[in-house]
Amino acid sequence: MSLIPQILRSLKNLPPFPMVAQRALMLVNKPELSIQELVEVIKFDPAITANVLRIANSAYFGLRREIHSLHQALLLLGTQELLKIIIASGATRLFANATPGYFSERHGLWRHSVSCGLMADLLARELTWAERATCFTAGLLHDIGKLVLSLFVDQKFAAIMEVVETQGKPFHRAEKEILGVDHAEIGGEMARIWDFPDRLRLVIRHHHLDCPESFSDNLVLLIHLADVLVLMFGQNLGREGLAYDGYPEVLKHFGLRERDLEKILLHFGCIWNDAQVFFGLIGSAHGLQCAHRG
Amino acid sequence: MDIVVGVADLKVSNRPEHVLVTHALGSCIGVAIYDPLARVGGMLHFMLPESSLDLSRAQENPYMFADTGVPRLFRECYSLGAQKQRLRVKVAGGSQLFGRPEHFQVGRRNYNVLIHGEDVGGNKARTLCLEIATGKTWVRTTDNQIYEL
Ligand SMILES: [Fe+2]
Ligand SMILES: [Fe+2]
Repeated sequence: MSLIPQILRSLKNLPPFPMVAQRALMLVNKPELSIQELVEVIKFDPAITANVLRIANSAYFGLRREIHSLHQALLLLGTQELLKIIIASGATRLFANATPGYFSERHGLWRHSVSCGLMADLLARELTWAERATCFTAGLLHDIGKLVLSLFVDQKFAAIMEVVETQGKPFHRAEKEILGVDHAEIGGEMARIWDFPDRLRLVIRHHHLDCPESFSDNLVLLIHLADVLVLMFGQNLGREGLAYDGYPEVLKHFGLRERDLEKILLHFGCIWNDAQVFFGLIGSAHGLQCAHRG
Repeated sequence: MDIVVGVADLKVSNRPEHVLVTHALGSCIGVAIYDPLARVGGMLHFMLPESSLDLSRAQENPYMFADTGVPRLFRECYSLGAQKQRLRVKVAGGSQLFGRPEHFQVGRRNYNVLIHGEDVGGNKARTLCLEIATGKTWVRTTDNQIYEL
Protein backbone atom coordinates (compact mmCIF):
# COMPACT_ATOMS: atom_id res chain seq x y z
CA MET A 1 0.00 0.00 0.00
CA SER A 2 1.41 3.37 -0.96
CA LEU A 3 1.93 6.02 1.66
CA ILE A 4 1.90 8.81 -0.91
CA PRO A 5 -1.39 10.42 0.20
CA GLN A 6 -0.24 10.56 3.80
CA ILE A 7 3.17 11.93 2.83
CA LEU A 8 1.63 14.63 0.66
CA ARG A 9 -0.71 15.56 3.48
CA SER A 10 2.29 16.09 5.76
CA LEU A 11 3.65 18.59 3.25
CA LYS A 12 0.63 20.77 4.04
CA ASN A 13 1.95 21.29 7.55
CA LEU A 14 5.39 22.29 6.40
CA PRO A 15 6.77 25.11 8.55
CA PRO A 16 7.82 28.22 6.62
CA PHE A 17 11.39 28.47 5.41
CA PRO A 18 13.04 31.15 7.56
CA MET A 19 12.41 34.48 5.90
CA VAL A 20 15.91 35.85 6.18
CA ALA A 21 17.46 32.73 4.71
CA GLN A 22 14.89 32.82 1.94
CA ARG A 23 15.86 36.35 1.01
CA ALA A 24 19.53 35.47 1.20
CA LEU A 25 18.94 32.58 -1.22
CA MET A 26 17.79 35.07 -3.82
CA LEU A 27 20.96 37.08 -3.44
CA VAL A 28 23.46 34.25 -3.87
CA ASN A 29 25.60 35.02 -6.87
CA LYS A 30 23.81 38.20 -7.64
CA PRO A 31 26.46 40.28 -9.36
CA GLU A 32 27.42 43.48 -7.57
CA LEU A 33 25.58 42.75 -4.39
CA SER A 34 26.06 45.72 -2.12
CA ILE A 35 26.92 45.44 1.51
CA GLN A 36 24.01 47.68 2.35
CA GLU A 37 21.56 45.33 0.60
CA LEU A 38 22.81 42.47 2.65
CA VAL A 39 22.66 44.34 5.93
CA GLU A 40 19.05 45.22 5.10
CA VAL A 41 18.24 41.54 4.81
CA ILE A 42 19.48 40.49 8.19
CA LYS A 43 19.31 43.43 10.49
CA PHE A 44 15.73 42.78 11.60
CA ASP A 45 16.41 39.28 12.77
CA PRO A 46 18.39 39.52 16.02
CA ALA A 47 18.84 35.76 16.37
CA ILE A 48 20.45 35.51 12.96
CA THR A 49 22.59 38.56 13.58
CA ALA A 50 23.89 37.03 16.78
CA ASN A 51 24.52 33.76 15.01
CA VAL A 52 26.34 35.46 12.18
CA LEU A 53 28.66 37.18 14.62
CA ARG A 54 29.29 33.97 16.53
CA ILE A 55 30.09 32.04 13.38
CA ALA A 56 32.21 34.80 11.88
CA ASN A 57 34.26 34.81 15.08
CA SER A 58 34.77 31.03 15.06
CA ALA A 59 38.14 29.49 14.36
CA TYR A 60 36.88 28.25 11.01
CA PHE A 61 37.33 31.66 9.43
CA GLY A 62 40.57 32.29 11.21
CA LEU A 63 40.07 36.03 11.44
CA ARG A 64 42.62 37.71 13.62
CA ARG A 65 40.43 40.28 15.28
CA GLU A 66 37.12 40.07 16.99
CA ILE A 67 34.07 41.12 15.04
CA HIS A 68 31.39 43.15 16.78
CA SER A 69 29.12 44.35 14.01
CA LEU A 70 27.53 43.03 10.86
CA HIS A 71 29.25 45.70 8.89
CA GLN A 72 32.64 44.63 10.10
CA ALA A 73 31.82 40.98 9.35
CA LEU A 74 30.88 41.93 5.82
CA LEU A 75 34.05 43.86 5.23
CA LEU A 76 36.27 41.09 6.50
CA LEU A 77 34.46 38.10 5.02
CA GLY A 78 32.89 39.47 1.88
CA THR A 79 29.28 39.25 0.79
CA GLN A 80 29.28 35.70 -0.57
CA GLU A 81 30.87 34.25 2.54
CA LEU A 82 28.35 36.09 4.64
CA LEU A 83 25.43 34.81 2.58
CA LYS A 84 26.59 31.28 3.34
CA ILE A 85 26.55 32.03 7.04
CA ILE A 86 23.12 33.64 6.89
CA ILE A 87 21.59 30.74 4.99
CA ALA A 88 23.20 28.19 7.26
CA SER A 89 22.09 29.92 10.41
CA GLY A 90 18.56 30.25 9.05
CA ALA A 91 18.53 26.59 8.09
CA THR A 92 19.71 25.49 11.55
CA ARG A 93 16.17 26.02 12.80
CA LEU A 94 14.69 23.70 10.23
CA PHE A 95 17.20 21.01 10.95
CA ALA A 96 16.72 21.25 14.71
CA ASN A 97 14.44 18.21 14.83
CA ALA A 98 15.75 14.68 14.86
CA THR A 99 15.29 12.59 11.69
CA PRO A 100 15.11 9.10 13.17
CA GLY A 101 14.32 7.42 9.85
CA TYR A 102 17.74 8.37 8.57
CA PHE A 103 19.98 9.10 11.53
CA SER A 104 20.02 7.62 14.99
CA GLU A 105 22.02 10.57 16.18
CA ARG A 106 19.90 13.66 16.77
CA HIS A 107 21.83 16.14 14.67
CA GLY A 108 22.79 13.59 12.03
CA LEU A 109 21.04 15.23 9.12
CA TRP A 110 22.36 18.66 10.00
CA ARG A 111 25.87 17.30 10.21
CA HIS A 112 25.50 15.56 6.86
CA SER A 113 24.05 18.70 5.28
CA VAL A 114 26.78 20.96 6.57
CA SER A 115 29.43 18.47 5.47
CA CYS A 116 27.96 18.34 2.02
CA GLY A 117 27.84 22.13 1.77
CA LEU A 118 31.48 22.40 2.73
CA MET A 119 32.50 19.59 0.40
CA ALA A 120 30.63 21.21 -2.49
CA ASP A 121 32.40 24.46 -1.72
CA LEU A 122 35.80 22.72 -1.78
CA LEU A 123 35.00 20.99 -5.05
CA ALA A 124 33.92 24.28 -6.59
CA ARG A 125 37.22 25.77 -5.54
CA GLU A 126 39.16 22.85 -6.98
CA LEU A 127 37.28 23.25 -10.26
CA THR A 128 37.75 27.03 -10.12
CA TRP A 129 34.06 27.78 -10.34
CA ALA A 130 33.02 31.27 -9.44
CA GLU A 131 29.76 30.18 -7.83
CA ARG A 132 31.06 28.81 -4.57
CA ALA A 133 28.23 30.18 -2.45
CA THR A 134 25.69 28.54 -4.76
CA CYS A 135 27.48 25.24 -4.39
CA PHE A 136 27.60 25.54 -0.64
CA THR A 137 23.89 26.33 -0.43
CA ALA A 138 22.88 23.50 -2.73
CA GLY A 139 24.97 21.05 -0.71
CA LEU A 140 23.47 22.32 2.50
CA LEU A 141 19.89 21.91 1.30
CA HIS A 142 20.08 18.89 -1.01
CA ASP A 143 18.51 16.45 1.47
CA ILE A 144 15.69 18.64 2.87
CA GLY A 145 13.25 15.98 1.70
CA LYS A 146 14.52 13.82 4.54
CA LEU A 147 13.04 16.27 7.04
CA VAL A 148 9.57 15.26 5.91
CA LEU A 149 10.17 11.68 4.86
CA SER A 150 12.00 10.64 8.02
CA LEU A 151 8.93 9.53 9.96
CA PHE A 152 7.69 7.40 7.09
CA VAL A 153 11.09 5.87 6.52
CA ASP A 154 11.29 5.09 10.21
CA GLN A 155 7.96 3.24 10.07
CA LYS A 156 9.04 1.17 7.10
CA PHE A 157 12.74 0.92 7.82
CA ALA A 158 12.87 -2.86 7.97
CA ALA A 159 11.05 -3.25 4.66
CA ILE A 160 13.31 -0.68 2.97
CA MET A 161 16.47 -2.35 4.25
CA GLU A 162 15.22 -5.68 3.02
CA VAL A 163 15.01 -4.29 -0.51
CA VAL A 164 18.52 -2.84 -0.09
CA GLU A 165 19.90 -6.18 1.05
CA THR A 166 18.05 -8.62 -1.16
CA GLN A 167 18.12 -6.58 -4.37
CA GLY A 168 21.32 -4.62 -3.82
CA LYS A 169 19.55 -1.33 -4.52
CA PRO A 170 20.76 1.98 -3.17
CA PHE A 171 18.71 3.25 -0.25
CA HIS A 172 16.82 6.00 -2.06
CA ARG A 173 15.59 3.54 -4.68
CA ALA A 174 14.38 1.18 -2.00
CA GLU A 175 12.71 4.13 -0.34
CA LYS A 176 10.81 4.85 -3.52
CA GLU A 177 9.85 1.23 -3.94
CA ILE A 178 8.40 0.91 -0.45
CA LEU A 179 6.96 4.39 0.13
CA GLY A 180 6.06 5.25 -3.45
CA VAL A 181 8.16 8.39 -3.37
CA ASP A 182 11.76 9.23 -2.39
CA HIS A 183 13.35 12.09 -0.45
CA ALA A 184 14.63 13.80 -3.60
CA GLU A 185 11.10 14.06 -5.02
CA ILE A 186 9.69 15.29 -1.71
CA GLY A 187 12.59 17.74 -1.40
CA GLY A 188 11.76 19.06 -4.87
CA GLU A 189 8.17 19.63 -3.75
CA MET A 190 9.32 21.41 -0.62
CA ALA A 191 11.55 23.66 -2.69
CA ARG A 192 8.51 24.53 -4.80
CA ILE A 193 6.41 25.33 -1.75
CA TRP A 194 9.21 27.43 -0.31
CA ASP A 195 9.82 29.26 -3.56
CA PHE A 196 13.47 28.36 -3.88
CA PRO A 197 15.23 29.50 -7.03
CA ASP A 198 14.57 27.02 -9.86
CA ARG A 199 18.11 25.86 -10.16
CA LEU A 200 18.33 25.00 -6.49
CA ARG A 201 15.04 23.13 -6.68
CA LEU A 202 16.33 21.04 -9.56
CA VAL A 203 19.51 20.15 -7.68
CA ILE A 204 17.45 18.94 -4.76
CA ARG A 205 15.15 16.98 -7.04
CA HIS A 206 17.91 15.34 -9.08
CA HIS A 207 20.87 14.88 -6.75
CA HIS A 208 20.66 11.09 -6.96
CA LEU A 209 20.95 11.28 -10.76
CA ASP A 210 17.95 9.07 -11.33
CA CYS A 211 16.80 10.43 -14.70
CA PRO A 212 18.36 11.86 -17.86
CA GLU A 213 17.54 15.48 -16.92
CA SER A 214 19.76 15.03 -13.89
CA PHE A 215 22.79 15.31 -16.13
CA SER A 216 21.91 18.62 -17.71
CA ASP A 217 23.31 20.92 -15.02
CA ASN A 218 26.87 20.70 -13.73
CA LEU A 219 25.70 21.85 -10.33
CA VAL A 220 23.60 18.70 -9.93
CA LEU A 221 26.63 16.57 -10.76
CA LEU A 222 28.81 18.49 -8.36
CA ILE A 223 26.36 18.03 -5.49
CA HIS A 224 26.10 14.34 -6.27
CA LEU A 225 29.86 14.07 -6.08
CA ALA A 226 30.01 16.04 -2.84
CA ASP A 227 27.40 13.70 -1.36
CA VAL A 228 29.45 10.64 -2.31
CA LEU A 229 32.70 12.09 -0.99
CA VAL A 230 31.10 13.01 2.31
CA LEU A 231 29.86 9.45 2.67
CA MET A 232 33.30 8.12 1.82
CA PHE A 233 34.80 10.27 4.52
CA GLY A 234 32.51 8.26 6.73
CA GLN A 235 32.15 10.33 9.86
CA ASN A 236 28.47 11.16 9.69
CA LEU A 237 26.83 8.08 8.37
CA GLY A 238 23.14 7.49 8.68
CA ARG A 239 21.25 4.29 9.28
CA GLU A 240 21.49 3.37 5.62
CA GLY A 241 25.27 3.19 5.88
CA LEU A 242 26.91 3.25 2.48
CA ALA A 243 24.03 1.93 0.39
CA TYR A 244 24.67 4.50 -2.31
CA ASP A 245 25.57 4.40 -5.97
CA GLY A 246 28.36 6.72 -7.01
CA TYR A 247 28.63 7.51 -10.70
CA PRO A 248 32.28 7.35 -11.79
CA GLU A 249 31.26 9.16 -14.99
CA VAL A 250 30.89 12.29 -12.89
CA LEU A 251 34.60 12.24 -12.08
CA LYS A 252 35.46 11.92 -15.73
CA HIS A 253 33.06 14.68 -16.62
CA PHE A 254 34.89 17.07 -14.31
CA GLY A 255 38.31 15.74 -15.29
CA LEU A 256 39.09 14.81 -11.69
CA ARG A 257 41.71 12.19 -11.10
CA GLU A 258 42.17 10.08 -8.06
CA ARG A 259 44.87 12.31 -6.68
CA ASP A 260 42.62 15.37 -6.95
CA LEU A 261 39.99 13.60 -4.92
CA GLU A 262 42.54 12.53 -2.35
CA LYS A 263 43.52 16.16 -1.97
CA ILE A 264 39.93 17.22 -1.56
CA LEU A 265 39.27 14.54 1.04
CA LEU A 266 42.38 15.60 2.87
CA HIS A 267 41.37 19.22 2.85
CA PHE A 268 37.91 18.29 4.02
CA GLY A 269 39.39 16.27 6.87
CA CYS A 270 41.29 19.36 7.95
CA ILE A 271 38.37 21.77 8.01
CA TRP A 272 35.89 19.27 9.34
CA ASN A 273 36.50 19.83 13.03
CA ASP A 274 36.50 23.60 12.87
CA ALA A 275 33.42 23.46 10.71
CA GLN A 276 31.53 21.53 13.33
CA VAL A 277 32.26 24.19 15.86
CA PHE A 278 31.26 26.73 13.26
CA PHE A 279 27.81 25.20 12.93
CA GLY A 280 27.28 24.55 16.60
CA LEU A 281 27.62 20.78 16.33
CA ILE A 282 30.28 20.40 18.99
CA GLY A 283 31.53 22.65 21.74
CA SER A 284 35.19 23.03 20.89
CA ALA A 285 37.78 21.77 18.49
CA HIS A 286 39.74 18.62 19.17
CA GLY A 287 41.20 15.81 17.12
CA LEU A 288 42.64 16.78 13.77
CA GLN A 289 45.46 19.23 13.93
CA CYS A 290 45.77 21.42 10.90
CA ALA A 291 46.99 24.91 10.61
CA HIS A 292 46.13 25.60 6.99
CA ARG A 293 42.69 26.51 5.96
CA GLY A 294 40.89 28.65 3.46
CA MET B 1 36.29 2.08 29.13
CA ASP B 2 36.18 3.19 25.49
CA ILE B 3 39.10 5.22 24.22
CA VAL B 4 38.01 6.91 21.02
CA VAL B 5 40.45 7.21 18.14
CA GLY B 6 39.40 10.15 15.95
CA VAL B 7 40.01 10.72 12.24
CA ALA B 8 43.73 10.91 11.56
CA ASP B 9 44.44 9.90 15.11
CA LEU B 10 46.40 7.27 17.06
CA LYS B 11 45.96 5.77 20.53
CA VAL B 12 47.96 3.09 22.31
CA SER B 13 47.32 1.46 25.66
CA ASN B 14 48.45 -1.23 28.07
CA ARG B 15 45.56 -0.84 30.48
CA PRO B 16 43.29 -3.87 30.55
CA GLU B 17 40.14 -1.85 31.16
CA HIS B 18 40.58 0.01 27.85
CA VAL B 19 38.83 -0.71 24.58
CA LEU B 20 40.18 1.30 21.65
CA VAL B 21 37.39 2.32 19.27
CA THR B 22 37.32 4.16 15.98
CA HIS B 23 33.93 5.07 14.55
CA ALA B 24 32.43 5.14 11.10
CA LEU B 25 35.29 4.19 8.83
CA GLY B 26 34.36 4.87 5.22
CA SER B 27 37.24 4.95 2.77
CA CYS B 28 39.58 5.59 5.70
CA ILE B 29 41.38 2.66 7.28
CA GLY B 30 41.60 1.58 10.89
CA VAL B 31 44.65 -0.48 11.86
CA ALA B 32 44.67 -2.32 15.19
CA ILE B 33 47.83 -4.04 16.43
CA TYR B 34 48.22 -6.11 19.57
CA ASP B 35 50.95 -7.98 21.43
CA PRO B 36 49.25 -10.77 23.42
CA LEU B 37 52.22 -11.31 25.72
CA ALA B 38 52.84 -7.71 26.69
CA ARG B 39 49.11 -6.96 26.44
CA VAL B 40 49.83 -3.80 24.60
CA GLY B 41 47.67 -2.57 21.77
CA GLY B 42 47.34 0.41 19.49
CA MET B 43 44.98 1.76 16.89
CA LEU B 44 45.48 4.16 14.00
CA HIS B 45 42.78 5.77 11.86
CA PHE B 46 44.35 7.16 8.71
CA MET B 47 42.72 8.79 5.70
CA LEU B 48 45.02 8.37 2.75
CA PRO B 49 47.84 6.14 1.56
CA GLU B 50 50.75 8.46 0.85
CA SER B 51 52.15 11.50 2.56
CA SER B 52 53.66 12.68 -0.72
CA LEU B 53 50.22 14.17 -1.36
CA ASP B 54 50.94 16.95 1.10
CA LEU B 55 54.20 16.82 3.01
CA SER B 56 53.55 19.80 5.21
CA ARG B 57 50.26 18.37 6.42
CA ALA B 58 51.96 15.05 7.00
CA GLN B 59 54.43 16.84 9.19
CA GLU B 60 51.69 18.52 11.20
CA ASN B 61 49.78 15.32 11.59
CA PRO B 62 51.52 12.11 10.48
CA TYR B 63 48.42 10.06 11.35
CA MET B 64 46.64 11.29 8.26
CA PHE B 65 48.63 8.99 6.01
CA ALA B 66 49.46 5.30 6.03
CA ASP B 67 53.14 5.70 5.23
CA THR B 68 53.75 8.15 8.06
CA GLY B 69 51.16 6.82 10.53
CA VAL B 70 51.77 3.07 10.49
CA PRO B 71 55.44 3.27 11.54
CA ARG B 72 54.40 5.55 14.40
CA LEU B 73 51.76 3.06 15.48
CA PHE B 74 54.36 0.32 15.75
CA ARG B 75 56.89 2.54 17.47
CA GLU B 76 54.40 3.71 20.08
CA CYS B 77 53.53 0.10 20.88
CA TYR B 78 57.21 -0.87 21.15
CA SER B 79 57.66 1.88 23.65
CA LEU B 80 55.03 0.22 25.84
CA GLY B 81 56.90 -3.10 25.61
CA ALA B 82 55.39 -4.71 22.53
CA GLN B 83 57.69 -6.77 20.28
CA LYS B 84 57.52 -6.80 16.56
CA GLN B 85 57.37 -10.55 15.98
CA ARG B 86 54.48 -10.95 18.42
CA LEU B 87 52.29 -8.19 17.05
CA ARG B 88 49.02 -9.19 15.42
CA VAL B 89 47.82 -6.71 12.80
CA LYS B 90 44.18 -6.24 11.86
CA VAL B 91 42.69 -3.86 9.38
CA ALA B 92 39.22 -2.55 8.59
CA GLY B 93 37.69 0.08 6.32
CA GLY B 94 38.62 1.10 2.79
CA SER B 95 35.13 1.18 1.37
CA GLN B 96 34.55 2.05 -2.26
CA LEU B 97 31.54 4.01 -3.39
CA PHE B 98 32.20 4.38 -7.05
CA GLY B 99 31.04 1.27 -8.83
CA ARG B 100 34.15 0.58 -10.87
CA PRO B 101 37.25 0.76 -8.74
CA GLU B 102 39.63 1.51 -11.58
CA HIS B 103 38.30 5.05 -11.48
CA PHE B 104 38.86 5.74 -7.90
CA GLN B 105 40.80 3.67 -5.48
CA VAL B 106 41.42 5.65 -2.35
CA GLY B 107 39.63 2.90 -0.47
CA ARG B 108 41.69 0.17 -2.03
CA ARG B 109 45.03 1.93 -2.17
CA ASN B 110 44.67 2.74 1.49
CA TYR B 111 45.17 -0.87 2.21
CA ASN B 112 48.70 -2.07 1.88
CA VAL B 113 50.12 -3.64 5.07
CA LEU B 114 50.87 -7.20 6.09
CA ILE B 115 47.94 -8.43 8.12
CA HIS B 116 46.41 -11.23 10.17
CA GLY B 117 42.76 -10.27 9.95
CA GLU B 118 40.81 -7.88 7.81
CA ASP B 119 37.44 -6.57 6.80
CA VAL B 120 38.19 -4.26 3.93
CA GLY B 121 36.54 -2.85 0.79
CA GLY B 122 32.96 -3.19 -0.33
CA ASN B 123 30.56 -0.48 0.65
CA LYS B 124 30.14 -0.95 4.36
CA ALA B 125 30.65 1.58 7.11
CA ARG B 126 32.59 0.10 9.97
CA THR B 127 33.45 0.77 13.56
CA LEU B 128 36.62 -1.00 14.69
CA CYS B 129 37.22 -2.05 18.31
CA LEU B 130 40.22 -3.57 20.12
CA GLU B 131 39.99 -4.86 23.68
CA ILE B 132 43.32 -4.37 25.44
CA ALA B 133 42.71 -7.08 28.09
CA THR B 134 42.31 -9.86 25.51
CA GLY B 135 43.36 -8.54 22.11
CA LYS B 136 39.92 -9.37 20.82
CA THR B 137 39.30 -7.24 17.72
CA TRP B 138 35.94 -6.79 16.08
CA VAL B 139 34.09 -4.74 13.52
CA ARG B 140 30.57 -3.39 13.85
CA THR B 141 28.71 -2.24 10.74
CA THR B 142 25.95 0.39 10.57
CA ASP B 143 23.30 -2.32 10.47
CA ASN B 144 24.71 -3.63 13.77
CA GLN B 145 26.35 -6.75 12.49
CA ILE B 146 29.45 -7.74 14.40
CA TYR B 147 32.43 -9.66 13.00
CA GLU B 148 35.44 -10.75 14.94
CA LEU B 149 38.71 -10.29 13.05
FE1 LIG C 1 19.95 12.31 -0.86
FE1 LIG D 1 22.90 13.37 1.03
